[in-house]
Amino acid sequence: MNDRKHAPGVSRRDFIQAAARGAAGMAVVMFWGDLTLVSANTVSGGPARGREGYAYDPTQHRWIYLVDVAKCIGCGSCVRACERENNVPRHFFRTWVERYQVSRTGRTWIDSPDGARDGFAPLVTGAEITKAFFVPKLCNHCTNTPCVQLCPVGASFVSPDGVVLVDEQRCIGCSYCVQACPYGSRFIHPETHTASKCTLCYHRLAKGMTTACVQNCPTDARRIGDARALGDEVAELIATTEVRVLKPELHTQPNCHYANLGGEAR
Amino acid sequence: MEHSKHIWRGAILLTAALTALVVGRHFLIPESFGEMGFYRGDALYEFMASPPVHGAPGACAACHDDVAAAKAQGGHRTVECEVCHGPLAVHVKDGEKVGDMPVDRSWQLCAHCHRYLAARPAAMPQIDLREHLDLGPQDPFPAEACLGCHDRDAIHSP
Repeated sequence: MNDRKHAPGVSRRDFIQAAARGAAGMAVVMFWGDLTLVSANTVSGGPARGREGYAYDPTQHRWIYLVDVAKCIGCGSCVRACERENNVPRHFFRTWVERYQVSRTGRTWIDSPDGARDGFAPLVTGAEITKAFFVPKLCNHCTNTPCVQLCPVGASFVSPDGVVLVDEQRCIGCSYCVQACPYGSRFIHPETHTASKCTLCYHRLAKGMTTACVQNCPTDARRIGDARALGDEVAELIATTEVRVLKPELHTQPNCHYANLGGEAR
Repeated sequence: MEHSKHIWRGAILLTAALTALVVGRHFLIPESFGEMGFYRGDALYEFMASPPVHGAPGACAACHDDVAAAKAQGGHRTVECEVCHGPLAVHVKDGEKVGDMPVDRSWQLCAHCHRYLAARPAAMPQIDLREHLDLGPQDPFPAEACLGCHDRDAIHSP
């Protein structure tokens, strides 16, 4: 060890001090950059406009969804369309349809065979069914999301236009969000091993199209609207008619509303 | 000042730790993180970029205007072509035909909407398949039970 030579003219102390000063200076520049980026945008609630060069500006829309239970015929077209549009793995669902059958005594049978991907077959309950209806379900795109707030890596987020999304690149597949969602809207993708869910066909909305489920619904039971668009029909219906949300007691403030929803639905 | 070297040592270690933190943070956090909130802003634009699989309403009429015109007058006018035929992307890409549309002739296709179910709204035209086909309780349904009689033209027009 003793025969190691120091460079002439520069002592070890000088070198370390100079290096520390340089590194600290670089760190301050980098840190300042990160700090200003985060504070400028998160504190003020996002940029006023979307990015340059993109036709779609997420800050100028607010997507809301309306399901009319009385119109749903339980055909499962939405489930099949969603599967094709979003390449949803078999036996997993971003949207599905439930069937409720209520007997005179109030006993309720609920089923959703394979998410209603292949529709429904008559169900023999052995009881007199006095009331029956279908409830299409999807991510409720809550305003007060239980799923996003506990994501440990910032992979789950709510977009400026109110869509709950998962960044596949950041998701570590811990599945906290899958457990947190009270509506069962999330799953872990069997191939990517990341959380997957309804994106409200964000790729279609951004191109001025409607979602695959809404477009393929033959009875208009599913509709999507933009609460920021003037005179939007769906927004008007939600504002002026009797609509409900699922599990209102959880205060998740879903942006998916239901008209003519039976009290048995949950 | 005989103990000043302890202070220097501490200061150097602290500076090194802070530098490692800040430099590491700079490289680990994606550039667009925080652009719109506590997430990677690029992710939103990646979602936007995915190509749609189903066409816009009326996309089929660009080539099949005769069928579209007949269907617009028929009972199935509210049913988009893709509901029965599958998505546009398997058939057309960039305005060019890339493959045949799959044609489902099974009775299940019609049964999705028209099989009698207690939960369906009463206004929906429904049939009891066994009664309609005059089948016994255990008989299997013929594969083309519906399209054998109700042909293509009957489905596309009034």
